[in-house]
Amino acid sequence: MLKQALPQRAWTAIAIVAVIALALVPLLPGAVDSYAFSFLFFVFLYAIMAQGWNLVAGFGGQISLGNHAFFGLGAYTTAILWTGNYLWGSLYDSHPDIYYFDPVTMTLGGLVAAVAAIIIGLPLLSKLRGDYFALGTLGFGEIVKVMFINGGDFTGGAFGVVAPAGTFDTLLPHYLVGLGLMAGVGVAIRLLMRSRYGLALIAVRDDEMAASANGIDVLKVKVSAFAGSAFIAGVAGSLYTYYIFHVGPDSVFDLDWMLLPLMMTVVGGTGTLLGPILGALVMYAVFDLAKIVVPDYHPVISGLTIILAMLFLPKGLMRSFAGRARAA
Amino acid sequence: MQPDDTLLHLEAVQKRFGGLVVLNNIDIAIGANELIGLIGPNGAGKSTLFNVITALYTPTQGRIRFRGRDITGTAPHRICRLGIARTFQLVRTFLTMTAFENIMVGAVYGSGGRVRHATSAAQDALELVGLSAKRDIRTAHMTLSDRRLLEIARAVASSPALLLLDEPMAGLNPTEIQRMVDVIRRVRAEKGVSILWVEHKVDAIMKVCSRVIVLDHGEKIADGTPREIVANRKVIEAYLGEPAA
Ligand SMILES: Nc1ncnc2c1ncn2[C@@H]1O[C@H](COP(=O)(O)OP(=O)(O)OP(=O)(O)O)[C@@H](O)[C@H]1O
Ligand SMILES: [Mg+2]
Repeated sequence: MLKQALPQRAWTAIAIVAVIALALVPLLPGAVDSYAFSFLFFVFLYAIMAQGWNLVAGFGGQISLGNHAFFGLGAYTTAILWTGNYLWGSLYDSHPDIYYFDPVTMTLGGLVAAVAAIIIGLPLLSKLRGDYFALGTLGFGEIVKVMFINGGDFTGGAFGVVAPAGTFDTLLPHYLVGLGLMAGVGVAIRLLMRSRYGLALIAVRDDEMAASANGIDVLKVKVSAFAGSAFIAGVAGSLYTYYIFHVGPDSVFDLDWMLLPLMMTVVGGTGTLLGPILGALVMYAVFDLAKIVVPDYHPVISGLTIILAMLFLPKGLMRSFAGRARAA
Repeated sequence: MQPDDTLLHLEAVQKRFGGLVVLNNIDIAIGANELIGLIGPNGAGKSTLFNVITALYTPTQGRIRFRGRDITGTAPHRICRLGIARTFQLVRTFLTMTAFENIMVGAVYGSGGRVRHATSAAQDALELVGLSAKRDIRTAHMTLSDRRLLEIARAVASSPALLLLDEPMAGLNPTEIQRMVDVIRRVRAEKGVSILWVEHKVDAIMKVCSRVIVLDHGEKIADGTPREIVANRKVIEAYLGEPAA
């Protein structure tokens, strides 16, 4: 057994210092226009997705293979609300930037995803076997994609929706909002896992039958964790819309939005708080490097990294460093 | 036993799996603060009876009443909140949780509002089974005996009126068995619960329980004092096989 290398408080301190340091990065001369800046933005985006997946799969034990669908739903919701100006009426004319990182729009992106999760989660999670859920959510992702391709004018069909681009000439707001969301999601999950709800979630993951025999409404716990996971993915999708503007079925419903965060979480440590973030940083660096160094072999190299990580760090980076499963 | 004193009432309960009748026409009434042994050969249907009472299985026929209220078909977590707690034949603790967290689940979720201060209820339950020193140890690192005690503590923390124990002594050594007997007696005395206790160690049951129920091939074949049970012909046949004709 590995000794607990760092106590929990040390991890908390490291996390806080890291967030402050990252928040100060834009002050460095030339930082905002550097490649590292956009690299970090994507790390934040993937870290948020990984945290969302970790909530339902790592803490809740329910393997969702449909989080890319929630990402896409959040992205489309944002693009559609913006393009159709469904929210702000004439305010939009006087404030053309009003949809940029608008908390209402982003929250709605998350909510649409969460509602979808509840609708499919209820039938899929009331089955006892976890593989129904995994396959069902995978199928759901495909169905949603087809629905958006065939959605007519509302969804823009196979082309998708282009948000009315306004004043995007710096990545600074994306970076700061991404960082803030990553930190906020981290704090929220930490509070959640320390609450009574966290107790129920771990109980359901560890032993469903014992959980229900001890008074836990297992279905409610599972569905709510799934909805929370979808909400986080939806908000991430919303954030991505402000970066990409063109929201199309092939880009935002791409399976990679589920697979990469899944791998990042596994490498970083499923069921830990900082694992998904650490995993996102490490794996995104690996994917990015592989793309630059050997463009043709990119998938092979990232695949190899995952196999190596599983071989040498079967419990993920976080657990290997921290020693204790739920230490950080 | 007064009728209004009845805690749990099974009325003609049957459980069938396909063509296999595992429980047949079971009538049982359990009163307040009883300690009842439930014995029977392997496959007699004892665990299935627990699963039917706690709603993991729905009976194919018959009714289950708890405190006069029909609870047939009620969800398992509701049954626990109403006041029926249980342990499992193959221990089921939450392995990644500490001992204390395990018990908190019972206190927080299982009690249906009966427990006001979950933390102190959990602490009490831990003390009752003598595991206070292991409060912060993760269950995955605990011995079988400690896990069985922990399961009982978790059930007790939900402040039940009826506690179902499925072979709490299975796999324990003589010292641990003595400790388990003490714990079961203490739980009954201090918590005022009724206990229905499945056990293969018949001698322990006969010594500790004032009432014993015997199941065989899904039928209730006897229900009485230990003295009556040991003299019962059907029971002797069930345990020793058919007498040679
Ligand atoms: N889910 C199920 N499906 C089919 N048959 C079952 C099921 N559960 C139990 N049985 C059968 O019901 C019978 C009674 O099983 P049960 O586990 O209740 O016995 P038991 O009295 O607890 O035995 P033991 O002392 O060995 O624990 C057995 O024949 C068993 O195979
Ligand atoms: Mg049994």
